[in-house]
Amino acid sequence: MKTKPSSLSQIDRVTHGLLSVFGFVSASFIVLIVVFIALQGVLPFVTDNNGLGSVDLWRFLTGTVWLNGPTFVSTAYGAGFLIINTLYIAFLSLLISFPIGVLTALFIAKIAPKHLARIMRTVVELLAAIPSIVFGLVGVGLMLPYIYQLARSLGYSSGAGSGTLATVFVLALMSIPTITSISEVAIRSIDPTLEDASLALGATPTQTRFKISLLAAKSGIFSGAILAIGRSLGEATAVSLVAGNAKSGPTFGIFDITSTLTSTMLGGLKETSGIDYDIRFSVGILLMVVILITNFVLNLIKRKVGNIHD
Amino acid sequence: MIKRKITEILLNGSVLFATAISILALGMIFFYVIKEGADLLSWNLIRGNYHARNYVAVLDPSFQDDTFDMPDFEDEDVYVSYRYGIALKQSRNLAGDGVIKVAYVAEGSPFTAMINQDQTKEMIAIDKDWVLSRITYLEHPSSLTSKGAASMIQDLEDPQREIFEVMFAKEGGGIYGSLITTLYLIFLTLIIALPFGILTAIYFNEFAAKNRWTKTMRSFIETLTGVPSIIFGLLGITVFVPLTMRLTPASGSNLIAGALTLTVILLPVIIRTTEEALRVIPDDHRFASLALGANKTQTTFKVVLPQAVPGILTATFLGIGRIIGESAALIFVLGAAIKDTVNIYRPSTSLAVHIWSMMTDEPPNVALSSTIALIILLIVLILNVSIKWIVSRFYTKGS
Repeated sequence: MKTKPSSLSQIDRVTHGLLSVFGFVSASFIVLIVVFIALQGVLPFVTDNNGLGSVDLWRFLTGTVWLNGPTFVSTAYGAGFLIINTLYIAFLSLLISFPIGVLTALFIAKIAPKHLARIMRTVVELLAAIPSIVFGLVGVGLMLPYIYQLARSLGYSSGAGSGTLATVFVLALMSIPTITSISEVAIRSIDPTLEDASLALGATPTQTRFKISLLAAKSGIFSGAILAIGRSLGEATAVSLVAGNAKSGPTFGIFDITSTLTSTMLGGLKETSGIDYDIRFSVGILLMVVILITNFVLNLIKRKVGNIHD
Repeated sequence: MIKRKITEILLNGSVLFATAISILALGMIFFYVIKEGADLLSWNLIRGNYHARNYVAVLDPSFQDDTFDMPDFEDEDVYVSYRYGIALKQSRNLAGDGVIKVAYVAEGSPFTAMINQDQTKEMIAIDKDWVLSRITYLEHPSSLTSKGAASMIQDLEDPQREIFEVMFAKEGGGIYGSLITTLYLIFLTLIIALPFGILTAIYFNEFAAKNRWTKTMRSFIETLTGVPSIIFGLLGITVFVPLTMRLTPASGSNLIAGALTLTVILLPVIIRTTEEALRVIPDDHRFASLALGANKTQTTFKVVLPQAVPGILTATFLGIGRIIGESAALIFVLGAAIKDTVNIYRPSTSLAVHIWSMMTDEPPNVALSSTIALIILLIVLILNVSIKWIVSRFYTKGS
């Protein structure tokens, strides 16, 4: 029930005023994040970094080596390859998690009997509730040895198994529940008359599920994929455990060690001031920009794709 | 027709295959964590310190030579000294190195009344499962860990030898500090985030006018959900650490700053969950209260809010789960140095960061990490079951 502030009593106006402060502060955190990270992240580019000279912005955006020269005395940071690595890994992981997630959702929403569907929903919820650090741990303990063996049997030398493939697998595992839960809601909420019409026209249940149900829910499914990509781009600790933390790139070989924007931010945590500290904020800005642009582009595609049948 | 049959089988097969992978993924994680971590799970682990604490002590000079009654040990690796009333065991520490551990100390043994050789000169007693690293003798070579428990006992039993100093350690590898830190973080975060989130939710659902300004504020809060946790970490070190350093006795990063950072992470979750709970409360209840003469403030806090308690409880459990699992933001705000003594004005690690810290060590401690992961998973499981129970108890009608 909403009422205009003018119709409230004195005490209600006070309550309204006090509560609105909470609302305002809650809403201002995102502004706080953007402003403070931007202020700190800009420092390496505009100050002379205690005599080291300022970081070259173009080199930072396009560089293929994270740090040239000894640490603490260099401003030759390049993060361009990190952007490519991050996007490459996120999309590869979506390649795995998307079909698995969507098909699991289809099973839960349309095929499974009620009881089994409930169990599967619990499975997905639990998978979603597992903290990322546990995924990283399982990645290191369970996946790396197999990936190492696989790489060796194929004639590649890999750094104990860590690298692109391990990162992609870990992120794919983490994305499955996101995609499944959102797709499931989308598939369940499509108009049942669409499916009835398809069945009445003689299509088999399988054809109906794949050609009607999935297609009708594609907007929701796409939203799940966008959310999953966003999480993959921003995931830090699990990635830092399995990526191998390469200092240069970009890395496209699936067995080669790699690094992402987030894993680089987690590296070199010992510094508490100076350029090696500030530069992490610059990478943070980069990360936010990459996520924003990816979201924007994917939402554009979603709108385009979603409009075909509407 | 056959072609279509094959396509159908393939399509249905792919659905089952995908579902199987999802189940397998969850099973694999639980199986691995239980397999690797269950062995170490014990009260000692939960109560123990992470860092080994070393002591150097001398025996009480008033001690007289004696012979102690010792129980029989079935274990072959246990060696007994009747002269000193102590049994030693060849064992391994959490890192897998060979160590000599105390298997049994008899009452009245000289090892239960030693004088600590630090500034305090306090009496100290060795206890079961502590590590005996070295015993030095007057005019005789020392007994060392590398020579083994059998040799150490042999030296002790030698009547020619007189003990000069004993070096021993309370073994590390416990998670007490991280567990306490996690509890502190949960407590501190919830006492800030819950009132904040609930009042914000009340504002948006009960008081805020429906206009563009409200819509913008809502979308700003919603945007927080998509921000990666590592970015919240950056917010923590630029805003909350300096803020808490100014307002509290803290002189660097501290748990309060960590809790404030977690508060921002939790806010969108708490606001959304509480609002959903508020939204399903029928307007009739509000009208009835207002019609009886209560003002809007009374209606909101005495009629509406109590009905939202299950939703708030759900938000609390979701929040606890998020706090326990959070790693990236806390690594930034609090660092990754594992502490045994916890102070809210100082940094220390939560359980999740404890895992990260050990996994980035050389070599990584997978066994202990898995044990912590197992504890985290158990807590997450309990929280999830509780949330399901609340939802089915309070929000599902009919069934």
